[in-house]
Amino acid sequence: MKSVVSHQASTPQGTTDSLGSKLRRKRKNGVAGYAFVSGYFILLALFGIAPAVYAICLAFTSTGGHVVGLSNFIKTGEDFRFLPAFENIAEYLSIWLASLVVIVIGLALMLHSISRKVSAAFRFIFYLPGALAGAASVLVWLFMLDPTVSPWRLFLGIFDFKNLGQTILPGHLPIIFAIIAFWAGAGGWIVVTYGALNNIPNELIEAAELDGAGPMQTALRIKLPLIKKWITFMLILAFAAGTQLFVEPQLVGEASLGLISPTWSPNELAYYFAFQNNNFNYAAAISVDLLVIGLLCAAVLVFRTKLFEVE
Amino acid sequence: MQFDQENNKQQTDRKGTESMSSPIRSKEGRRRLRPKLRSSVLAIVASALAVATFGVATSASAAAAKKPTITIWVDSTRVPQVKAYEKAHPTVKIDMVTYNGNANGSGSLQSRIALDNRVGGGWPDIVFSEENNDAASLASSQFNYPAVLNNGTVPSKVLGGYAAGTLAGCTVNGKVYCLRNDLAMNLLFYNSALMTQFGYTVPTTWQGWAALGAEVATQHPGYIVGSVGDNWDDDIYLWPSECHVNDVIKTDTIVINGADPNCTRATQLIDPLVKDGSVTTDSVFSSTFGTTYKNKILMMVGPAWYGQYLFPGIVTNGDLAVADPLSWGSGPTVTGEVGGGLWFMSSHLKGATKALTASILTWLSTSYGSQGISPGYPAYVADETAWVAGQQASGLYSNQIAPVFAKAATEVWSGWSPVPWSTDSVFGSTVVTGINSGQTLTSQLSAFASQLADYAQSDGYTVVTTP
Repeated sequence: MKSVVSHQASTPQGTTDSLGSKLRRKRKNGVAGYAFVSGYFILLALFGIAPAVYAICLAFTSTGGHVVGLSNFIKTGEDFRFLPAFENIAEYLSIWLASLVVIVIGLALMLHSISRKVSAAFRFIFYLPGALAGAASVLVWLFMLDPTVSPWRLFLGIFDFKNLGQTILPGHLPIIFAIIAFWAGAGGWIVVTYGALNNIPNELIEAAELDGAGPMQTALRIKLPLIKKWITFMLILAFAAGTQLFVEPQLVGEASLGLISPTWSPNELAYYFAFQNNNFNYAAAISVDLLVIGLLCAAVLVFRTKLFEVE
Repeated sequence: MQFDQENNKQQTDRKGTESMSSPIRSKEGRRRLRPKLRSSVLAIVASALAVATFGVATSASAAAAKKPTITIWVDSTRVPQVKAYEKAHPTVKIDMVTYNGNANGSGSLQSRIALDNRVGGGWPDIVFSEENNDAASLASSQFNYPAVLNNGTVPSKVLGGYAAGTLAGCTVNGKVYCLRNDLAMNLLFYNSALMTQFGYTVPTTWQGWAALGAEVATQHPGYIVGSVGDNWDDDIYLWPSECHVNDVIKTDTIVINGADPNCTRATQLIDPLVKDGSVTTDSVFSSTFGTTYKNKILMMVGPAWYGQYLFPGIVTNGDLAVADPLSWGSGPTVTGEVGGGLWFMSSHLKGATKALTASILTWLSTSYGSQGISPGYPAYVADETAWVAGQQASGLYSNQIAPVFAKAATEVWSGWSPVPWSTDSVFGSTVVTGINSGQTLTSQLSAFASQLADYAQSDGYTVVTTP
């Protein structure tokens, strides 16, 4: 992320170089570029593309390896756990994405308009929870959610939650997982959005101020439209990550000694098919469903916001 | 890289050419760098190959060695039993792996076996599971994991040494796939000191238990006669009531009927007690259960292992007593069970390793050296007397437990079958969450039953509502 920002910031200014030296630089950049990308590409091919291709193959074949067309998709779609799982994830996503967009951008805009020293301290604080890896952050939350041990038991008491079982009722889960996801993930996005805001040329903001725009107007009319692509980018990644929710329901389920359905989210359902029913083909079909949904959402956002167009 | 740069710089400087440009950018530098790159790539490949060969070599030497390492997967409660084996047999190499025991429908064991099946290796040699349904699940064609034990793998004398009917859960189509660790039949635990202090008599029927619960709620609020906060409470309340939600009557046909009067009679009895607080909705293993209910548990129906596993520290030593399972007034008294633990061995073993593994399996599940330190009532008859004597000597109980345990062990109702899904898990996500959101147990029975029917149908069972 950082490299993109700095790269944009240091767009070559000098255009007086001779054509020859320009070409040479281009070729050199090309080689260095490939070298830098290769490490990532190898890992992507091994652990990203290859498993995805494998999953797609599995999704269209039977356990015996015969091609069965869409049969796996139809059978999983008809399963009694399929719809509830997707409903759960949809509810979770709507809370998580809405809060992400509104709060992250709001906080980043605020940070950008206060003094640099203070804002650096705040950015650090916002980022801190993100330093805990997924599973560890869920464990922290298990303590927070159990009214018998939580440091926030007073707060949980307002809702009349007396034990962990009452806190994690099915109706509360989407919002609880959204809070956990926000707590762990929002800090990183605040830092990224702040970076994007820093990318806005000072002259633009100064011009707006000269024209009489207040902090609010500058934020909403100048800064916000200029970071639109970053917001799209954040939405695409957050959506993809959100549809794959797994660790949170799985761990909370185990910690509550099994009070959450083991097939709460689509990813958990895929896991259940693979490992409880030993049906990797059904599991692959659900993961392909998720892949398609993620791609569709990304495509809509990319085309609607012209994400890849260079001005 | 820095070294390379300096090296190149020295060389270019020595030649006295292109001193202005960076050495790497120069053609000369690039040419020199290439062989270096090539050699470093070669070095990496070589070292990778070396690591790989070393790995092969060590595994080959392990296979060649006469003493195989036996991998044993257990939950943390069973660790002392495996350690006891290691101590008694110092020459046998054991690789003990602790996992969650496949408890509460977590399915971690199935996950592992499915992966091992996929790669065709890596199966644990011996596995302990807390999940009583696992023989049905693991022996199915989906997993094909456990070895058949009643074909001479384990001596028939050993199999014959188990209490009658206790290997039923391990038996699928006449083949025995596992050995029971302990019997987990439900009993009525009570605090004899409190009973005397309050002037109550110990009930013998569920109706009597509920009536006493109602009295406790008015006369001694804060004291409890049971708990419904855990996902295995179906085994504690519905199973002994002969509730038909889990009754496989013939291969692939199951009776599931949430409206069965045998189910509702139990839930209707408990609902008012949940409301008046004499039956708590806290999980018995929640972090504060011990402090909240210290010496406040007047009675509690629960599996035999609650005695040694749950109550010490919550009930003062010497105040705990056990009574026969509660009856429903008419018909023979039956009870349910929670867990009990199963020992499996892998079907993928051969020759000496198989024989050794079978002997370890037998030792862990039948020898007193192992069972004597298990918190559960041994399923292997020969160990029972000594185990009970040990429990009695611990001073936890105020009455004689031997006759109660022995009688209850034979009373487990057979209409609650092992199935490939976790009934407890469904009970947890429907009924227990329902109670936590203020609903009654009775109102959740239909959701419980309909989800069980969904699971049964998706696993290929025909669901019927009458036996």
